Amino acid sequence: MNQAPVFAVVGHPNKGKSSIVATLSQNDAIAIELEPGTTRRSHAYPLQVDGQVLYTLVDTPGFQRPRRVLEWLEAHSVSASDRAATVAAFATQHRGNLQFSDECELLAPLIEGAGIIYVVDGSVPYSPQHEAEMTILRWTGRPSLALINSIGNEDYGDTWQAALGQFFQIVRKFDAVRAPFEQHLSLLRAFGQLEPAWEKPLETATGFLDRQRQQRGQQAATLIARTLQQMMGYRHSRSLAEDLAASGSSQNKDALASELRKSWYQHQRQREQQLRGDIQQLYQHGQLQRQEAELEWQSEHDLFSEDSRQLWGVNKGYLAGVGFGAGAVGGVGIDALTLGASFGTGALIGGIIGAAGSYFYGDRLPLPTLKIRPLRDGVKTASFGPAPDTQFGYVVLGRALNHWWHVSHRNHAGRAPLPLGTTDSHWLESLSKQDRNILHRALEKARKGKSADPSDQHKLGQVITHAMKAYNDWQLKSV
Amino acid sequence: MVKQSAARPSMTKTPIIKQPLRLLMDFDAQIQRDGQQTSDFIHRRDRKFALNCEEHNSPSDPAHWLAWLGRFDNGSEQLAGTGQSTEQRWQRINSGFIALGAVLGIITMAGLLFYDGGQRINVTVIIGFVALQLLLAFLTSLQSVMGWQPWRPLLNRFMPASNPALQPLQPALMARATQGGGLSFAVAALLTLLAMVVTQDLAFGWSTTLNTAASGYHQLTSALATPWAWLWPSAVPDPALVEATRFFRAGKNTALTPARWGQWWPFVSMLWLIWVVLPRLLLRLLASALVRLRTRKLLLCHPGLRALRERMATSVLDTGAGHNDAGDLPDTRHNTLLQPLPEKAQLLSWAGAGTVTDKQTLPAALAAICPGPKLNVGGLASLSQDQQAIAQLAVSSDAVTAIMLVRSWEPPTGELLDFLDSARHNWPANSRVFLLPLAAETREPSNTATDRQLQPWLRFAERCPPGFVTVGDIAISTGLSHS
Repeated sequence: MNQAPVFAVVGHPNKGKSSIVATLSQNDAIAIELEPGTTRRSHAYPLQVDGQVLYTLVDTPGFQRPRRVLEWLEAHSVSASDRAATVAAFATQHRGNLQFSDECELLAPLIEGAGIIYVVDGSVPYSPQHEAEMTILRWTGRPSLALINSIGNEDYGDTWQAALGQFFQIVRKFDAVRAPFEQHLSLLRAFGQLEPAWEKPLETATGFLDRQRQQRGQQAATLIARTLQQMMGYRHSRSLAEDLAASGSSQNKDALASELRKSWYQHQRQREQQLRGDIQQLYQHGQLQRQEAELEWQSEHDLFSEDSRQLWGVNKGYLAGVGFGAGAVGGVGIDALTLGASFGTGALIGGIIGAAGSYFYGDRLPLPTLKIRPLRDGVKTASFGPAPDTQFGYVVLGRALNHWWHVSHRNHAGRAPLPLGTTDSHWLESLSKQDRNILHRALEKARKGKSADPSDQHKLGQVITHAMKAYNDWQLKSV
Repeated sequence: MVKQSAARPSMTKTPIIKQPLRLLMDFDAQIQRDGQQTSDFIHRRDRKFALNCEEHNSPSDPAHWLAWLGRFDNGSEQLAGTGQSTEQRWQRINSGFIALGAVLGIITMAGLLFYDGGQRINVTVIIGFVALQLLLAFLTSLQSVMGWQPWRPLLNRFMPASNPALQPLQPALMARATQGGGLSFAVAALLTLLAMVVTQDLAFGWSTTLNTAASGYHQLTSALATPWAWLWPSAVPDPALVEATRFFRAGKNTALTPARWGQWWPFVSMLWLIWVVLPRLLLRLLASALVRLRTRKLLLCHPGLRALRERMATSVLDTGAGHNDAGDLPDTRHNTLLQPLPEKAQLLSWAGAGTVTDKQTLPAALAAICPGPKLNVGGLASLSQDQQAIAQLAVSSDAVTAIMLVRSWEPPTGELLDFLDSARHNWPANSRVFLLPLAAETREPSNTATDRQLQPWLRFAERCPPGFVTVGDIAISTGLSHS
């Protein structure tokens, strides 16, 4: 079997070489810093399928002394035919020489047959001053592709494209931080165009990456479905002390309810955090720092905050309507799915449903969810939960989908905190009636503590998959 | 393909579980344990198992999967625990029902055949009891098929909550146990009957308040005896016996030979055997088959199995995300401040900074500071041109003060360091170079770079020999505040 292609990502220091590698290798633990010379040694990132390497990306240090290297090469070359050999001779000659350690590191994979991925920053003006390093790369005789990465906000991409076209076989624009996944695959396919023998492994690799992404979506749906069922059916119980059990005063009951509610909320918050961690791990975002503050009571990002309810909740009419299979609020339409006054007809409807909508949620999660069981086996127990209606489930689901969407659309070169902002329409609008009904029934069943059989679980998983697609469409439309 | 280690342990040292219930429980327990593992790990593990099965052409079913996972745990009780303990618990429950059934069978039959010499043993009562037994046996099976568990709350009092995976099986398991108890009851009762037939002189007769003729009763007994009539004709009561053995508690029937009363026993024994023991046996076998069938179905529908098959069928994709040097960042602190530019200086441009290609015009203040011609070094200039520029500035014996324009967005490289090093060696002592990083924006007039872009330059100046390189700020020099 032919050796798997290797691509050396090279360029001037600080032009986003590591960002490109981080995004393509889905590794957010690669050091990316605006400090020039962060990468001092080459590092290979192979893509392996069942242990078989399909291609390897090599992150290299930037050129430090290209003019001196070129001077040496020109001094030791007799004709164009010996240029590649002269480059190899340079690396051999200067191995261990600290002055040229970066050049030796970056030239080594090229000498061994790697393709060239030359990275420039398209957000700064083009300058012919880099021609020395481009000439060195041309001397290696390796197939080459130039990548215009945009680190800043300015766009000089077209000037760069015209200039780089004179030196490189293929010139592509690629924003390592913002490029959508389809562009990753497209770029990798372009790598495969550099040499006929590389086309097949790159095509295979992109196929696997595409399937992996689909599977991640399904796995995320399963994780969300499981969490949703657990959170909906969760009941926090506590054995009562004798005196409390004996005393039936409402003051004691309130204190007990308050304590149990606090524990119930805390557990639900932790479960949500666990889901988020699992989703991030699934998408290999181990280093992700969420912008969401540590969830605290009454914080605007809290699971139980008014903001969460308004953004992700549905109204009482919807809850009632969907239960009978109506799918949406009769007459009012899907616009009334939200509770907040931010949607189009919100001013009119918000006042009517606002009061009703606040029922059974947030800090108003009512005492009826507190149940004190009769003495059994000598112990009296009090329990709080599960959620009194499916409203809580819609909030959990909306937040989970929002988090999933941002994580799954985040490139691994991104180092900014994850924004979890939202828009003012309701994502459920994009979900079919049938799916909404299945979802509602599943939430209702979970809330009643009925264990879901495998068929139910499968159905819910499928609905969540549809919900993820609906959410994606909704987000893209909103954006 | 995943490379197999040379020291790969033997795959099948752990016995393959064949009992469906134990397999289901062990499988479920393993899936629960997997919930604690990372998805990457279990994917790698299961994919490796699938590839190994392919390589060795061995089955990749849950039983073999469990054996594969347990290959390092030979002899470990922990892994086999869940399935085994469930099986043992149900074995204990089954044994309990069998023991209880046997005791109740003996007592019941002894009660039915209770004969103190005064009254006959009424065959009608026995037929009625047989019918009741038959009814109970069928109801037990029916409720298991329908999944109805009226006894569930009672069981909850004595048994810990069962594994959720086992819950759908509870009706079938319970039906198997109760049918086992019923069978034990029936067999024990039959043996008691036979023992009493041998050891006592039982006087059977038939009696009913209803105005039933002997011929009608004979038709009933003949119909009941149909299954064995061809096999044992003498176990079918003849009309004469039926006619002769009717009794009334209020009347006396002493004309009959005492031995005639006992001639009912073959019928009673066969009645019990065919209509109580046999149905119980068949329903017990049916219950066992149902347990096996449902267990297999549950295993096949187990969400964990679907996920396992997906993992096994899906290639493990490693994108190279294992490398982590996020914590290995260079020290980005510095103690250097921007300095005002000198009053008079030579002007150098490094790698085209401040040139026409940058579409910038230099600040007017700079023209006053650097009245001389600008020397281009670095970038497109050759190394010898760099040396010429250094030599050109070193002609006088006075210390050289130079301002070097650099592009703030192009970080300092080794070549710049080499140039400054060469200049320091060639220029008189106390010579100084002020680096002036220019911003990339094309606004007029050009200005120094943003603070973020300046940081690498300040750190670069710190790395240079002390006193020779400084980062200058045009804003300080011209009295403008720098953002």
